[in-house]
Amino acid sequence: MPSSISVDSPAGGVASRGGEPAVLVSDVRKSFGDVHALQGISFQAEKASVLGILGPNGAGKTTTVKILSTLLRPDSGTAVVAGHDVLTDSAGVRRSIMMTGQYAALDENLSGRENLELFGRLMGLAKSAARKRADTLLEEFDLVSAGKRAVRNYSGGMRRRVDIACGLVVRPEVVFLDEPTTGLDPRSRQGVWDLVTALKNQGITVLLTTQYLEEADVLSDNIIVIDKGTVIAEGTADQLKARTGGSFCEIVPLDVSRIPATVQALGDLVPAAVAAEIDGADKLSIPAPEGAATLAEALRRLDNAGIDLADIALRRPSLDDVFLSITGHSGGH
Amino acid sequence: MTTMDTTERIQPPESVAATAAELPVVHAKPEGSVSVWFTHSLIQCKRLLMVWLRDPSTTIQTIAYPAVTLLMFRIVLGDSITAATGIPSIYGQAALLTLVAAMTGAVVSALGFKREKAAGLLSRFYTMPLNKASLLTGRLLAEALRILITTIIVLLVAVPLGFLFMEDPLTNIALIFVPVLFGLGFAVMVTALATITEGVMLISLIGILNTLLMFFNTGFVPVFAYPTWLQDVVANQPMSCAIDAMKGLSYGGPVAEPLLKTVAWTVGMIAVFAYPAIVGYKKAAETS
Amino acid sequence: MSVSAPAASTLFAELPEVRPSSFAQWRALTGRIVRTMATKGELVVAVLTPLVVTVAFYLPLRYVMKVQGIDYAQYVMPIVVLQTMAMTMMSNAQLAAFEALTGLSTRLQTMPIGSLVPLMSRICAGLVRSVVSLIATVGYGYLIGFRFTGGWLQALAFCGFALAVGIVLTLGADALGSLTKNPEALSQALTLPILIFGMMSTGFVPEASFPAWVRPFARNQPISQFAHTLSDMAAGHLSWAGTWVSLVWLGGLAILFLPLAVWASVRRS
Repeated sequence: MPSSISVDSPAGGVASRGGEPAVLVSDVRKSFGDVHALQGISFQAEKASVLGILGPNGAGKTTTVKILSTLLRPDSGTAVVAGHDVLTDSAGVRRSIMMTGQYAALDENLSGRENLELFGRLMGLAKSAARKRADTLLEEFDLVSAGKRAVRNYSGGMRRRVDIACGLVVRPEVVFLDEPTTGLDPRSRQGVWDLVTALKNQGITVLLTTQYLEEADVLSDNIIVIDKGTVIAEGTADQLKARTGGSFCEIVPLDVSRIPATVQALGDLVPAAVAAEIDGADKLSIPAPEGAATLAEALRRLDNAGIDLADIALRRPSLDDVFLSITGHSGGH
Repeated sequence: MTTMDTTERIQPPESVAATAAELPVVHAKPEGSVSVWFTHSLIQCKRLLMVWLRDPSTTIQTIAYPAVTLLMFRIVLGDSITAATGIPSIYGQAALLTLVAAMTGAVVSALGFKREKAAGLLSRFYTMPLNKASLLTGRLLAEALRILITTIIVLLVAVPLGFLFMEDPLTNIALIFVPVLFGLGFAVMVTALATITEGVMLISLIGILNTLLMFFNTGFVPVFAYPTWLQDVVANQPMSCAIDAMKGLSYGGPVAEPLLKTVAWTVGMIAVFAYPAIVGYKKAAETS
Repeated sequence: MSVSAPAASTLFAELPEVRPSSFAQWRALTGRIVRTMATKGELVVAVLTPLVVTVAFYLPLRYVMKVQGIDYAQYVMPIVVLQTMAMTMMSNAQLAAFEALTGLSTRLQTMPIGSLVPLMSRICAGLVRSVVSLIATVGYGYLIGFRFTGGWLQALAFCGFALAVGIVLTLGADALGSLTKNPEALSQALTLPILIFGMMSTGFVPEASFPAWVRPFARNQPISQFAHTLSDMAAGHLSWAGTWVSLVWLGGLAILFLPLAVWASVRRS
């Protein structure tokens, strides 16, 4: 079992920023009978940063989030959220967090507006203040026209927005987003991403659980990769991708016999190791450290050499690649 | 491109790996033909019976519930009613509970239909070369078989409580088919209502109606025990007709008249609700 | 419809001071259940179901009971009232199961809400429904000839006792709902016990109607005792000797169900 491996310096920039981390998890263990969901997980999240938590199903992401939101008690280890210990001051934790799950939990019988008002009152706003807040949030999240309809008739994207809005009726210090864009169309997904950035700019810490490397990539300041109950890798998105070999460029010449000529035309873009193994191959994969720029350069050189292509594409490592590289097994067992 | 010769096996294109399976070609008869309707009805019937048999809650609702209720009616009310009317109450009660079993089963089946619709199975069937009528007739056939089974079980439970079958086997066959007859009419009505409306509201309403009807028929107490202004309604509601026919076929008494009334009710319900049921099925498949 | 995110600066602007209080939270949670009941037709069902039960029990059996010399309208109303309370219990159980199923209960557990508040709000909303049902039921009773002949105090005791039974049953059902998270299976599971305890009871038909071997059960089971007590209260015959068994049953069930309901609602797996 690989122990926690930090790609960058272990402190990950903590020392330089100073101040308490918003979330501090230290050697937490949790078992359900024979199932050891968490086996000594440790990480921290800086204030006003976005921490991405990546991992396959069953890795322990949801269990971790449940412990941090006081739904579960850890068997051992400590977890501190916004300065409150989840065991000794769980009420304090609950005053400081907002959590949304995949299955946007709302009162199905109420309208969007009534749900927002309800959550406002539950969080301590007076009735009239809660109502005003509800209207404000409806406007902010572009739900005014749908506000009066029962939430059970909302589309997936709308439900997610109401769900998140309900968590923002008062200002939380830490926000847990558990796979917030699963099943959403690209526009709704972009909306959630914009929101996460907006929260960060407000000084709120966001813990984002996701299966999509792209999402963690775009949003997170730091990423931890969880598998089988421990953190197996930590670092920024670029650092993680670099570990898996980064993006690569796949070139398929129209005429298979022209592969050697292709290699020659590309020159220094093709590392020696790859050039040595082109016998019998029908396509060529070269690393693309500069992404699209490498692709453009490759195209230029191939065009100059007069080599016709069947296909050329820039491929990014998928989450599976990350897992294969780090753990030696595929993420989706 | 390969040429498609419909009478030969379709050759997969060259570039497809040699391990690709060769897909069998079926020379099917037109989906509207009678033999296809018959075969597909049997297939649907078998499918539904398997689903019902595997679901424990269906078993509980359609067998345990009527059996326990019969036991309870007999224990709680049997002696009072027998004393007040002079006729052993078990015959009416057993007949009543076979009908209750049939009706509960129809409601359970309607709920299952709603679930199939929500899961998209119905729509999928409609895009296949299935005989469309077979979906409805297959379901009705399954209902009939289920009612037959639950009727026999309820009547067997009634035997230790004092129920006696007549000696003539033909009479007994007629006896167990009366609930089937009644149940079919009821099932067509419930199917029509389930396919037309959206909500679970309707199913609960039918449930309440069932419970109400369970107390207002000649199987619960005899007709003359009801207030005079109710007696005509009670005597002629479809459950009472079926119960009276069954009483005649088991304890003794007039058979022809109640049997004819039962048939009339069944035919009537089918006539009124068959077309909406068919149309409803189609609409349900299209809109899910 | 554009899907823009809220502007960062306005997200929490002008937010007044926040003061969570358990009472306000309880009011908010109870209020929303009651409002849903009132607008979605559940209160209408709460008023109509007792009518169905009254009619279904009374009309077919009135004659049969008269033959035995019993005024069935007066006799059967207590059991009708208890049946009505059972209906409330059922709908409460389904609400608890539904909210556990959709994850709303879980979500409330991650918020700064007093741990007993969600349970209390469900019970109180159930109480509202019970009161409405009870009033309707007594009304229907009056229509068929049921009368309170024991004075105001005992009539109030009748209502209070009926509601107390309702609350105790609701606590048990709420626990079951929170634990099973399955509204459909719940209604199936509860139907049979309601039927058995409701009908195999001396409140439904007199003891002499039962076969001898069943009589001890029919007489001593809790619902029969409750019906007996209610009947005494209606007639003004309330006495300690006749009531203590009921109170023991009620107390025992309360001791069993209350901790169970609290545990089921508060627990975190």
